[in-house]
Amino acid sequence: MLVLFETPGGFALFKVLDEGRLSNVEDLGKEFASPDSARKMVKLKAFDKFDNTSEALEAVAKLLEGAPSKGLRKFLKANCEGETLAVADSKLGNVIKEKLKIDCVHNNAVMELLRGVRSQFTELISGLGDQDLAPMSLGLSHSLARYKLKFSSDKVDTMIIQAIGLLDDLDKELNTYAMRVREWYGWHFPELAKIIQDNILYAKSVKLMGNRINAAKLDFSEILADEVEAELKEAAVISMGTEVSDLDLLHIRELCDQVLSLAEYRAQLYDYLKSRMNTVAPNLTALVGELVGARLISHGGSLLNLAKQPGSTVQILGAEKALFRALKTKHATPKYGLIYHASVVGQAAPKHKGKISRSLAAKAVLAIRCDALGDGEDNTMGIENRAKLEARLRNLEGKDLGRLSGSAKGKPKIEVYDKDKKKGSGGLFTPAKTYNSAADSLLGQTSSKSVAEDSVEPSKKSKKKEKRKNKEVEVEDEPEKEEESKKKKKRKKAETETEAVEVAKEEKKKKKKKRKHEEEETSETPAKKKDKKDKKKKIKD
Amino acid sequence: MRPPLTGGRGGGGFSGGRGGGGYSGGRGASAGRGRGGGRSFGGDRGGRGGRGDRGRGRGGDRGRGRGGGGRGGMKGGSKVIVEPHRHAGVFIAKGKEDALVTKNLVPGEAVYNEKRISVQNEDGTKTEYRVWNPFRSKLAAAILGGVDNIWIKPGAKVLYLGAASGTTVSHVSDLVGPEGCVYAVEFSHRSGRDLVNMAKKRTNVIPIIEDARHPAKYRMLVGMVDVIFSDVAQPDQARILALNANFFLKSGGHFVISIKANCIDSTVPAEAVFQSEVKKLQQEQFKPAEQVTLEPFERDHACVVGSYRVPKKTKAATAA
Repeated sequence: MLVLFETPGGFALFKVLDEGRLSNVEDLGKEFASPDSARKMVKLKAFDKFDNTSEALEAVAKLLEGAPSKGLRKFLKANCEGETLAVADSKLGNVIKEKLKIDCVHNNAVMELLRGVRSQFTELISGLGDQDLAPMSLGLSHSLARYKLKFSSDKVDTMIIQAIGLLDDLDKELNTYAMRVREWYGWHFPELAKIIQDNILYAKSVKLMGNRINAAKLDFSEILADEVEAELKEAAVISMGTEVSDLDLLHIRELCDQVLSLAEYRAQLYDYLKSRMNTVAPNLTALVGELVGARLISHGGSLLNLAKQPGSTVQILGAEKALFRALKTKHATPKYGLIYHASVVGQAAPKHKGKISRSLAAKAVLAIRCDALGDGEDNTMGIENRAKLEARLRNLEGKDLGRLSGSAKGKPKIEVYDKDKKKGSGGLFTPAKTYNSAADSLLGQTSSKSVAEDSVEPSKKSKKKEKRKNKEVEVEDEPEKEEESKKKKKRKKAETETEAVEVAKEEKKKKKKKRKHEEEETSETPAKKKDKKDKKKKIKD
Repeated sequence: MRPPLTGGRGGGGFSGGRGGGGYSGGRGASAGRGRGGGRSFGGDRGGRGGRGDRGRGRGGDRGRGRGGGGRGGMKGGSKVIVEPHRHAGVFIAKGKEDALVTKNLVPGEAVYNEKRISVQNEDGTKTEYRVWNPFRSKLAAAILGGVDNIWIKPGAKVLYLGAASGTTVSHVSDLVGPEGCVYAVEFSHRSGRDLVNMAKKRTNVIPIIEDARHPAKYRMLVGMVDVIFSDVAQPDQARILALNANFFLKSGGHFVISIKANCIDSTVPAEAVFQSEVKKLQQEQFKPAEQVTLEPFERDHACVVGSYRVPKKTKAATAA
């Protein structure tokens, strides 16, 4: 058996003299304890020296990819006829086996063997001491590092990451400057801050106006709306601000110039970012928008990194602090991070935000993988998924309407079919009156539930399909009412009970509205919420 | 470290990372993801920037207060005396305050704007020392924490996993001197850039831009080493250390590993994490000898020192 050992100076092939000892992996290390015993174990068969650093770099770079370089192939062909070859990398072994038809082995014994060879390497190869190897590995490592840094593949991602970083910085800076303009010019013309809310318009008008006395003479029509302009001119006459010198105004105007140029540049940068995002990650952009997409990429490090992460991670990317706090204190983990700012999540009602952010994260991850690893350049996948998400959102909200008016808010869906509980009587879609009359007409005819259902359904079939759910709920209510009225005397007690429940529910609804705001902030787990509700119910009951 | 990624900033997930990202320089700027990126949420060394500054302030004020010449820092001269530390290669500068220093291998150059102290020898020559800030370097923190033996000494060969920008690596390179050798492994391209630049000036540092999870990728560059220092702050760092030790650490060699409890499991107390890590190490043929916490320099960090594949012969001999 031969052992291939790579050194910064070249490739070495060692012949294993005593193959029997390979079986005992544990004690293999001892064989290499001293140079003498090591020489008994292995012997240098051949050494292929790199001629220069470029050759070394080429060979090693190839080796890192798991492929033998040209020189190595030649070397192996010349020296490995009919022998098995022990290699340190199983991937490399497979390629050698395939290409050169040399049997390769890679196992624990080989690793141990290589370890031994490494420990006694300078003793096993004469004329290649430590002082010779050091400069070689130094030179090779530097050129390898340069090679790696030069050809790092995610240049475009880096541009996006930097651009979004700059955009955030610009926003901050712009705001600081704009507030400074307001503050500074406010001493001269305090009323203006109220009249013009927009920072850029403010800066523009200050730049144009200078001293407020000029306001009356100037034409602001290019900047401001007519009524605002009139207001401004009026306020300028009666302003209670202090007088400022021309020198002061000069500096304020300079500051205004800064604000305006920054704003202009920000717009340019945003366009750049948009176009970059649309080329680099079209599907992601279609799903979450440029800014959120770019932030996600910048948070992940690169698009490829992001593609390797699961949806659950992407969902809370940017909320690490909350996540760890929650993990530590055993509370509910956050529902969304950066993704919160995506428009799909923004559209959702507060109670659906968590759900939608989960769905969006799942789709976003698919889109990211599509962008990072797929071949397609278009954003059809992203657009399709966005449509799906929006449909889901509508679906959720539709359900919500029914449930809100129903009595089983927050209950698991399965309970809708529980006929002992009053349910769905107030669904928004349900025309309550007509329904009741239908129930009345059935009263005398049937008593069992199944018949009641049968007789109701044909009359309702004309209704739209969308309302089917509500219908089911209605249907369930029917028999109850029937029974109630039929066995009124017996069921008096039961009736009072249901009434009580209804009252309780109404109260609860009110309370819920009050609590809604709280809930948004505290972001409890659904489970917890439910617990609370259940508790409440119990108390009320 | 992460499986091979192309990321300029390394890491996926929420690795905090050291090694300033972007233009922020310095370590642990929140924007910067230095290290080859934490698996999921291993906020590596985020938020260190501020603390680093604090540490720097210590030395700085003094030098400037005296109005010393162009160079800031604890300007050498009569007031500062440099004494050798218990650990070979490390020195203590005794001025108004004591500071850990190493003898500068490249006199006249600071690596990360640290303070330098020049001391006149008896024969008129000058020796330059660099101040080693324990707030920025876990090895320095461990030394100040009173670790018994760091095993990194002049002439030693060291494999340094998680080299980041090379601030601590530069001190280790001072420590081992021209006879020794430091193989510095860092995965992030961003901080790898700084590492390579630092290594240009120090010929005993061999920079390796690779994932420490795959020691096979740099097997041709690294020879047998005496010590492995591991500062990778990854959930599987014990495994990473074991892989590398299997490849490169000589039998009877030593390891120094810094463990950040939060990076491994943030839900259990730090002490429990340290214990479980030590246990993991013991399963991998390591023999942990001592453990020091890095308080007050780092929170919930520990440094474990021990040996690898200790030959059983000596043990048998003593037993017999």
